[in-house]
Amino acid sequence: MIILFIVLPLIVAGLLPIIGKVSRRVLPDALANATLLALLVYAVVAGRGLIADGPVLQQLSWLGEAVNVRLALDGFSLFMLMAVSLVGLAAGLFSIDYMEHYGAKANFYALYLVMIAGMNGLILATDLFSVYVFLEVAAIASYALVAFGLGRDELEAAFKYLMLSVVASAFLVVGIAVIFGLTGQLDFAAVAAGLKEVNAGPVLGLVTAFFLLGFGLKAALVPFHAWLPDAHPSAPAPISAVLSGLLIKVSGVYALTRIFINVFGLTPALSAVLMALGAVSIVVAALLALGQKDMKRMLAYSSISQVGYIVLGLGIGTPLGIAGGLFHLFNHALAKGLLFLTSGSVQQATGTRDMDEMGGLAKRMPVTAVTNLIGSLSIAGVPPLNGFWSKLIIIVALVQAGHPVYAVIAVLASVLTLWYYLLMQRKAFFGKLNEKWAAVKEAPFWMTAAVVLLALLCVGVGILFSSTVTTWIQPAADILADGVHAATGSWGF
Amino acid sequence: MILQTALLIGLVIFSVLAIVLRDLLKSAISLAVASLLLGIIFFRMKAPYAGAFEISVVAGLITVLFVLTIALTKSGDDVRESKIANWVFPLVFVAFIVIDALVMKSLLGKVPALPAAAEAGGFGDVLWRGRTLDLIGQIAAILAGVFAVLALFRKKDKHE
Repeated sequence: MIILFIVLPLIVAGLLPIIGKVSRRVLPDALANATLLALLVYAVVAGRGLIADGPVLQQLSWLGEAVNVRLALDGFSLFMLMAVSLVGLAAGLFSIDYMEHYGAKANFYALYLVMIAGMNGLILATDLFSVYVFLEVAAIASYALVAFGLGRDELEAAFKYLMLSVVASAFLVVGIAVIFGLTGQLDFAAVAAGLKEVNAGPVLGLVTAFFLLGFGLKAALVPFHAWLPDAHPSAPAPISAVLSGLLIKVSGVYALTRIFINVFGLTPALSAVLMALGAVSIVVAALLALGQKDMKRMLAYSSISQVGYIVLGLGIGTPLGIAGGLFHLFNHALAKGLLFLTSGSVQQATGTRDMDEMGGLAKRMPVTAVTNLIGSLSIAGVPPLNGFWSKLIIIVALVQAGHPVYAVIAVLASVLTLWYYLLMQRKAFFGKLNEKWAAVKEAPFWMTAAVVLLALLCVGVGILFSSTVTTWIQPAADILADGVHAATGSWGF
Repeated sequence: MILQTALLIGLVIFSVLAIVLRDLLKSAISLAVASLLLGIIFFRMKAPYAGAFEISVVAGLITVLFVLTIALTKSGDDVRESKIANWVFPLVFVAFIVIDALVMKSLLGKVPALPAAAEAGGFGDVLWRGRTLDLIGQIAAILAGVFAVLALFRKKDKHE
């Protein structure tokens, strides 16, 4: 029952506001996190069994009659579902303590679960229009979650995010409409087959440009990134973690990759454009991150830079490049989730995000400081943490594919990344303890538990990287490396 | 042809009203009427998918959300818009009409007419048999909208 990934969080989300009337905290906390845990267990335990004999296409029936719910689970989508469930659970656990002072917890979890359902729906959809519908589901929930604190900054950031997101959606809908007009189909496999028959040429180029703009905005690739440094820091920390760790990847990178590689087919020109966009994002966002004083804003710029690495890797189009890109997607989800959560712990303890005001916090918040350091080193690509391996794979793939210039850019930007993360460490956690923070205490239990979970995963995946790659990354990369054939060959056409 | 032209003119008039009307409620209702007309046009052009979604989502769901939001917002907070805003829309609109009249006909003539897809069927058939997954997506979108309104218009307890 693959549809459980969509329906289960939706049902629980529907119940939560009612349950919230009975129990304001305990039951919503327990129910929401139990749902996220169930999804994770289902993805990790049952999911791999389901796709053991190749991709599964599920056609649902209602009272014995087939209805048009077609969901596809293959290595790529299962990998994404696992990442969503994992980081989603960590952020959910963190919310137990963190969202306490925001109030309306049941409502928060309801929106959160709708966002998860939206992402899962997008991942499982086999149809261009359904991709758009679930993209909007996740987006609508995320606008409200960004504004959840109801402060002026939050509302302004949410509005800016909404406006740019609507522009992205408009481009996507126009692109989808043109594809429907060209092929008369919306289903991935049918569109892939249809595009082979019609000689679309310039029109397909136009659609590609529209999708690139739309998904580029969703993924916040430079130059479409303006909304992210406002939206992600303004949201409550667990939401920042999910937005940066998951949402930009699912609604931007996943959708873009699935459609460009499995439906349109990656052409050399498209590959060059993706790599160029990726490289520009890496460098520009890393330079912008260097100048930030606001901790969460710096992390937001770093997200743009790291998405650049992912797109650069996927854009190479070789099996190794794709595997590297996907592995980096997973590692960045873990590490950036971790960093945003620890920044939330710091913000809650000190009431500020300004790194110049911090200092010496490691003495008062040792667990937060250590986990934050692990996240920082992981993203900067320091061995033996997980981020090192994925960056290494991307760089090797770049060299193998004959793109030494991009490889050098990736290495140099990695040094830049290490630089700004070490600056953050020095300003916030090391040095002399600012007297203002003498009374600061370590974060509460669930917040600490969530960051420790993610930090252990960063270290664990780094040490066991080879088995992670074989178990999760390779099956996903194989689907993408299969190109258009993956959609037309194994999804029933 | 006359009906089609009337529908199109109605669509344009109500769309313009949705933008220029200062009363938000009237503006939202104008948008709903515009989208209802667009939905009818879609059905008449043998695109029931588009018609079904236009009417159910834009004329239905979104209008409900707008009206709900307007009902929950206090009146009296007059926001002053810059005077340029009053000029920009009419200017752009007139320019668009001119371009439309001069260029569009010949441009559209170059796009090959696509054969109508075999997708005929009633409103229910389209939604239930054709786009069931999107129906789930729509339910999710409605939930998201309702929860968003509840969250954004909640009484702030401790956070203030």
